[in-house]
Amino acid sequence: MASVALPENGSLPDGSSGKRAWSPWQKWGVILLAPYIVVFLVLVLYPVGYGLWLARHPASYVKLVEDPIFGRSVINTIAFLVVAINIKMAVALALSGFFTTARTWIKWLSVLFILPWAVPSIPTILSFRFMLNPEWGIINSLIFRYTGLDGPNWLNDPILALSLAMVVHVWKSLPFWTLILIAGRLAIPQEHYEAASVDGATRWQRFRFITWPAIRTLYLTCTILSMIWTLGDFNSVYLLTGGGPADLTHVLATLGIRYLRLDQVDLAMAAIVIALPGILPLIYFMMKRLSR
Amino acid sequence: MANVSFHAVEKAFGTTKVLHGIGFAIDDGEFVVLVGPSGCGKSTLLRMLAGLEEITAGTIAIDGKVVNDVESKDRDIAMVFQSYALYPHMTVGQNMAFSLKLRKAQPNVIQERVNHAAKILNLEPYLDRYPRELSGGQRQRVAMGRAIVRDPKVFLFDEPLSNLDAKLRVAMRAEIKALHQRLKTTTVYVTHDQVEAMTMADRIVVMHDGRIEQIGRPLELYDHPANLFVAQFIGSPAMNVVHGTIRRSGGGTVVDMGDGVQWPLLDGPGVEGQSVAYGIRPGDLSLASSTAPGAVPGEIVVIEPTGAETELLVQAGKAQVTLVTHGRPEVSPGERVGLVVAPGKVHVFDQTTGERLAA
Amino acid sequence: MSAGFSWRKVSTEAKLLLIGIPVALWTLLPIYHLALFAISPKDSAMSGHLWPDHPTLRNFVIVFTQQHHYLEYFWRQMWNSLVIAVAVGALTLFVATGAAFAISRLRVKGGRAVMNLALLTYFIPAAFLAVPMYKTMGVYGLLNTQWALILAMMAIAAPYSIWVLKQASDKLPYELDEAARIDGASPLQLFRLVYLPLMMPSLVAVGTYALLLAWNEYLYAFLLLSNDRELTLGVALGNFLAADDSPWELLMTTGLIYALPPAAIYYAFKRYMVGGLTAGAVKS
Repeated sequence: MASVALPENGSLPDGSSGKRAWSPWQKWGVILLAPYIVVFLVLVLYPVGYGLWLARHPASYVKLVEDPIFGRSVINTIAFLVVAINIKMAVALALSGFFTTARTWIKWLSVLFILPWAVPSIPTILSFRFMLNPEWGIINSLIFRYTGLDGPNWLNDPILALSLAMVVHVWKSLPFWTLILIAGRLAIPQEHYEAASVDGATRWQRFRFITWPAIRTLYLTCTILSMIWTLGDFNSVYLLTGGGPADLTHVLATLGIRYLRLDQVDLAMAAIVIALPGILPLIYFMMKRLSR
Repeated sequence: MANVSFHAVEKAFGTTKVLHGIGFAIDDGEFVVLVGPSGCGKSTLLRMLAGLEEITAGTIAIDGKVVNDVESKDRDIAMVFQSYALYPHMTVGQNMAFSLKLRKAQPNVIQERVNHAAKILNLEPYLDRYPRELSGGQRQRVAMGRAIVRDPKVFLFDEPLSNLDAKLRVAMRAEIKALHQRLKTTTVYVTHDQVEAMTMADRIVVMHDGRIEQIGRPLELYDHPANLFVAQFIGSPAMNVVHGTIRRSGGGTVVDMGDGVQWPLLDGPGVEGQSVAYGIRPGDLSLASSTAPGAVPGEIVVIEPTGAETELLVQAGKAQVTLVTHGRPEVSPGERVGLVVAPGKVHVFDQTTGERLAA
Repeated sequence: MSAGFSWRKVSTEAKLLLIGIPVALWTLLPIYHLALFAISPKDSAMSGHLWPDHPTLRNFVIVFTQQHHYLEYFWRQMWNSLVIAVAVGALTLFVATGAAFAISRLRVKGGRAVMNLALLTYFIPAAFLAVPMYKTMGVYGLLNTQWALILAMMAIAAPYSIWVLKQASDKLPYELDEAARIDGASPLQLFRLVYLPLMMPSLVAVGTYALLLAWNEYLYAFLLLSNDRELTLGVALGNFLAADDSPWELLMTTGLIYALPPAAIYYAFKRYMVGGLTAGAVKS
């Protein structure tokens, strides 16, 4: 076997004593990554650290727990999460089946269906709010015209008001989750359905044995992610009820901002920190799902 | 143009060592094919030469200059990828001009070189098209054109034909070989297809499990495989290998299979009682009547006519062997036949080391 | 047989319509109500009719000419919304594209960790981060400036943008980068001449995402801005709520105007948005 006589010690390019300094590729990687690292440090890590520092006094928590509004907000938040999200996801699952039906008019409807998600919250939520106005809102006007009765004072009843906030929330975020579940359904190979049809599966059996196993994980992930985001949904409650009547419809998101507006930052942060044990498992789950 | 040399080259990914001390040299203008089964390290070796993988130990030199710490772009090499890696957003012309543009060549020089390459590769009508508008073979040629315009010291090909259909592969094989004969640029070509290696290479480097099994000219490897691995890897259909014991008694030397079948060794190597692997190429077997003296008895299992040749699968004792003949033998499955071994065409390997036994 | 088949078809269509019509009503009702107010004269807006007796564009004229003290800064606030949205879109693109390229293509050391930190940020509920963000902007002395809102929105939009871009750029064949390296491209040339052109659809999706996020944002804008002249249109709309004598029909008209640009932009880039954003949203 031929072997070329190599110059002993090699004619290595200058400066390279074995291990090379950072290659230009690594160097540019760091340079291009740097802006986000700065953003993260200055606009995420510092605020979070500062916030936790503000929430360091045990007294804040005592004061918080003694505030009756806090207890009510926790109950409201849990109710909101459990009811609104499950209804929303179940409807999104059903509608994703509807929207994957091949019809031209359904395609057009799906284009329209996205609107609530694409437009800003504030005008549409205000629109809801005016519809629900007890005196001149369109709903009570219609009730009066057709029954001669006065409609309920929708937003003056805490249970009704919170339920309506959930309706607003579902209206706003349903399109997004439906879209995701549509994508999940479309990823299922058509042959699976064809094979099932040949085997004589009914509509329900096709869903039960093909669709559901294929998108079950996606559905769970969506539910968890939606819980995280719904915890941060300030608009649906604040813009519809403002936390009222009598601060009975606050959720943690609006409560924190309420304390902030009252210049009780320690309470605001304490309200958030108290929620952490609830959120962290959800975040952990999402991190595990996405960072694989 | 340049020579290339590998000296004690090693590569490890983490703790997994994938190349163990590779050393050989490529002469100026030579067409060398690295061949081996997938995972043998051939592509890794090529990528180390290209500067796309760090060299864990040892040195790689181009034109006598060690390039371990030289950036890819400064190694003066050009590479054709398996996936072609054409820039989808550039036309054929822009794809070929890209490297020259990056090197700040004069526009008229770029134009001239691109046109020249396009002419060689019959790509002139396609210069303004995008890669997605081309067929597989045309894309392959663009990838080669991109390499040619550079006029590099070394061409590197990484399984360039494996995405083409069988017919096109044969045509492109000839085209690449013709191109090399015309340009005489040192070429390193990686493939897992031994037919490509045999038909294109000046010299073949057979690799297996991160080591070189044998280096040599195509027919050298075919006629004198250094070990059992090379023997079975090179040649199609593959060499028949049966396992037995050397018996030097009675009617001449044989390899005894222990199942009543004895393969003639004639004056082949090996000592009495040695366990060996006995290799014979399908083309070195011929048919005789089952009673012919010295013929190995067998029974036809399958007959596969391909037109010019006929491939027969024959059961001989416990072993099945393949036989290729140019004629169209009038036999049928189940028929008993005799197999005649062409004298001097037997390959004998040590059963434990797999090394060829010297004659 | 054929008659039975066709009956089945009719019943299937009927069932689909039975879902489709309520879905359409549910989706459009609040938006229609908004538009109804906008084209109704002041006195008939609250009459409870589904179509005004005398539709008019008078409300739009009042809004566009700023003829109400609530609308004194309408154009100014519209401009603020636009500037902030465009700035957030551009800055987010700048930050996220570089990061995604460094992580996905240059495989920079520690890139994976940065990606995970970004993801973690993405999972902080927005209203929870608002409180410390407000205090932090106070510390930085940026409170009541538009920079506060721009920076905050960028910090919120960037993680998801990086994630989407990374997912998309992981799909580009790595051989392209290697070919470019051998062709003599420097990292920056690879970025400019190969990466950016190939990532264009995802860049459009991400830029639009950040832009719409900023335009539509209420909470952060409401917290971080307070001067009437600096407000975004969204916050100005919220301020209508403060008074009992608010001109509802003007509020709704302004709301409709505020809602139109994002809807138009969404539909214009729908092609990029749906594929680009939902694919990265939940990796299944």
